[in-house]
Amino acid sequence: MSVIAPKFRLGYFLKSLTDNIFWIIVLFTLVGMPAIMLILFFIDLPVLDGTLLTPFLAFTMIFHPETGVPLLKSLLYSDFFRIAAFPGFGFAALLAAGTIFAERKLLAKLQLRVGPFYCGKFEGILQLMADGLKLISKEIIIPAKADKPIFWAAPILFVATAAAFVSLIPVAPGWVVADLDVGLLAVFAIIGFFPIITILSAWSANSKFPFIGGIRALHQMVSFEIPLILSLLGVVILTGTLNLSKIVESQSNYWFIAFLPIGAIVFFISMLAELERIPFDLPEAESEIVAGWLTEFSGMIYGLVQLGSYLKLYAFAALFVVLFLGGWQGPMVVPPFPAEIITHGIVAGPITIHVPGLPITTQEMLNGTLWFTLKTVAVIFFILIPRGVFPRIRIDMLLSIGWNKLIALAFINIFIALGLLYAGVLGPGGLL
Amino acid sequence: MTARLPPGLQLEKVDDRIMTLNVGPQHPGSGHMRLIIKVDGDYIVSCDPDPGYVHRGEEKMAEYRNYITNIPHLERPVIHDSCNILYPYCLGVEELLGLEVSERAKYVRVIASELNRFTYTLYWLAIYGIFLGHSTMFMWPAGDRELAIDLLEKLTGARVTHSYFVPGGVRNDLPANFEDVCLRQINYLEKRLKAYADIFYDNPILIARTEKTGVLSREDAIRLGTTGTVLRASGVDYDVRTKEPYDVYDELDVHTNVLKNGDSYDRSKTPWLDMLESCNIIRQALEKMPKSGSVRVKLKPNPKGGNDEVYKRVESGRGSLGAYIVSRSKPEPYRVKLSVGSFRNLICMPYLLKGEKLGNMPAVYWSLNYWPVEADR
Amino acid sequence: MSDSDTSIQETETKPVVENQQELPKFEKDHSDKITAKFGSKTEIAFVKPDRIRVNVKKEDILDVASFLRDELNYDHAESVTGVDFPADKEIEVVYHLGSYTDPQLNRQVLSLATRAPREDDPKPGNDSTKLPSLREIFYSVEFHERECFEMLGVFFEGHPDNRRLLLPEDWADLPPLRKDFAIKGR
Repeated sequence: MSVIAPKFRLGYFLKSLTDNIFWIIVLFTLVGMPAIMLILFFIDLPVLDGTLLTPFLAFTMIFHPETGVPLLKSLLYSDFFRIAAFPGFGFAALLAAGTIFAERKLLAKLQLRVGPFYCGKFEGILQLMADGLKLISKEIIIPAKADKPIFWAAPILFVATAAAFVSLIPVAPGWVVADLDVGLLAVFAIIGFFPIITILSAWSANSKFPFIGGIRALHQMVSFEIPLILSLLGVVILTGTLNLSKIVESQSNYWFIAFLPIGAIVFFISMLAELERIPFDLPEAESEIVAGWLTEFSGMIYGLVQLGSYLKLYAFAALFVVLFLGGWQGPMVVPPFPAEIITHGIVAGPITIHVPGLPITTQEMLNGTLWFTLKTVAVIFFILIPRGVFPRIRIDMLLSIGWNKLIALAFINIFIALGLLYAGVLGPGGLL
Repeated sequence: MTARLPPGLQLEKVDDRIMTLNVGPQHPGSGHMRLIIKVDGDYIVSCDPDPGYVHRGEEKMAEYRNYITNIPHLERPVIHDSCNILYPYCLGVEELLGLEVSERAKYVRVIASELNRFTYTLYWLAIYGIFLGHSTMFMWPAGDRELAIDLLEKLTGARVTHSYFVPGGVRNDLPANFEDVCLRQINYLEKRLKAYADIFYDNPILIARTEKTGVLSREDAIRLGTTGTVLRASGVDYDVRTKEPYDVYDELDVHTNVLKNGDSYDRSKTPWLDMLESCNIIRQALEKMPKSGSVRVKLKPNPKGGNDEVYKRVESGRGSLGAYIVSRSKPEPYRVKLSVGSFRNLICMPYLLKGEKLGNMPAVYWSLNYWPVEADR
Repeated sequence: MSDSDTSIQETETKPVVENQQELPKFEKDHSDKITAKFGSKTEIAFVKPDRIRVNVKKEDILDVASFLRDELNYDHAESVTGVDFPADKEIEVVYHLGSYTDPQLNRQVLSLATRAPREDDPKPGNDSTKLPSLREIFYSVEFHERECFEMLGVFFEGHPDNRRLLLPEDWADLPPLRKDFAIKGR
């Protein structure tokens, strides 16, 4: 990894290619095929429509369009896909990785420099991969008197909680990992875990600076949870439901931010404090307490904590979009699937292939995903910018903001929502 | 623990409530000196500065070198402000040896000294920004400082530790075309400095964090013997360039910036205002400089001073910098003492930090314009 | 030293002429006030433009310093320097005093010098090299006197905190700025 890549020569490339092909063929023939034959002796192949489902039949079924597409579709709608790829972990991790890269580039341009530049041919786009590889290759050092089980468990719990948070956000109509009727309440139950995890990891490190950082993080997160919850009561009053998908559906005519701007602002500021972003990054204040509660983490544990942080960032931004900016609602810009393919099949010259089960993805889903992603990216952009503009705030100023000013503003917001509801302007049975 | 402690070490009982923090030399919040801070919750009970991490014995070593070889040696305390720290030494040696400096050399000295004020103050401002958590305020001054360092490299050949001033003048003349390049870069630098007001000095979070913290009243500033921007931010109008002009400062129009409140905000703003003033000084000096002339005096080898002493003062980025030279008819000086602004302002640290919140510690401590290397010499 | 001093000034002092017959007027008035009050206890070493030097004995230094602060308006000490004279068996401590409040004194720096006896085998704090501390009169000398103590071994009586400042805690050698302390290799 530390060698600069030598210049490209076609001869060497072809040689390495043929080398790899040779070894793959040798290993497959001498080791792989006998292993497969041995396994096939011992398992019972199922019977499907009167024919035995041999591996050959399975491959044929996957690659033939008439039977393959329904198979693909059933995979897409399965629970595993939802949790792992979309809208669950894969989608969130992709957006989180993009956020990290975009943050570094944006901050660099603000500060009159270039940012990641050398990794990857185009403006350092592979920088994240390089950082990930670097973190994996580092040694994980644990202080001698640290509380080892909690020290190991805390970052994993952090990522798990962030992932649980991600699982509640609806991305497109019908596409949510966990569709709960008390979705919003579950969100806050999960957010309530984060201070506990922070203080556990700070305490188990058994050192002064993580201790101070953990106490500060506890103060910060706890004191901003109340304005967070209060600012959303306005939304709940107007929709009457706690289900996140239904909240999005009730924003089909207007977005809530138009009528509850104060609530949106309170939520945005509390969100910055929960995420420990500048100007609220006291728990990680580098110039005073080295690195706060992250001081003793090294290697992949640090990588896990960063992953959890950015997953949390995506989840909060997505929650903001869902609650105030209309979620996936937006004008339909995706063209409808050509109807003749469904009825007549794909016509390519003299061949006509009938593919039942198309379309794989519906038009609403694509449109919803597109609008959701655009809005989330815009909100993340606004979360990233204060990092280049503001210095860090002090703990007593932070506490006075959280306990005095934001709670007052959130109450004003609730009164506005109640007023709009009882005046019959909004809500069920209203004008809009 | 009944064994006798070596002299210099102290035994201290650990308290239940008061926590001792070592904001130590290896810390991203302290520069290279140690502060032993005792905290009670969030309030600082006492602060004991412990400089000496970078003490190299400059003054002792200066007694072993003759007047000329002392020049690269004595500029090491502040490497990027090296012209200013050699200035009083060169003035003192010129008085001891009876040398006369030409007009052009004096103007070149003034220009180099003001350029050094840029490099020092921008570096200090960058670190102030990052102590408060403002990464943009770290990158902008550090980037703009390159302009001033570039000019100094053209002038002297080195980015830092210039070794440019010699008794009798400066080492070499201005390179060709230097006046135009200097004027262009100073004009651009002035525009950039004015942009700092938007991002830093008018930033509401900065104002909330630094106003009314670490207030040093006018009487205290005089009594504690502070100097430089710390003094001028507390309402005392004293700048060595105007009160005791040396070289050609009496022919230039220097305006001192005095702010009234004496809190950290004013102390962080005064150096920036001084930098804007330096732009004017450099422009005036470039205009008024005689267009030709020698800049150096030929010295006899191993010059000796008589039985005499001299004390000369100069205004550097940190305050008034004095050199006290005692000579006894030998090629080496008998005693060289540098009275540096950072060491004089050190006394404000325990005085101001007592009773402050721990979160205010970086804002107050670094606003005292303290350069640890210089205070340790 | 060369006689002519050609610094450019525009104060009320006359420039020093070749044979040093005339002393600068303002500084001469100043030093005359000191001699008028203390007589033979003080000795005016020189009177130069902007620089006066007064030598006192260590018993009288507190009185002279109070007089300088109260009557002549010197309000702070710029630096405290210790100079070692092994030939005279004395250590000289020079206080440079300046004034911020008095506009006439803004340019002046008055050097107040005293001497303390020097021993060949110093035990810092426990031998005869002691001087009274000027900290009660000029608060600003606190850290300067600490540095003087550790570098030369001069103990300041009345200073609240005679401790190491710049040297490491486990320094067990001679005080470094003494002339008997030789740097290795030179």
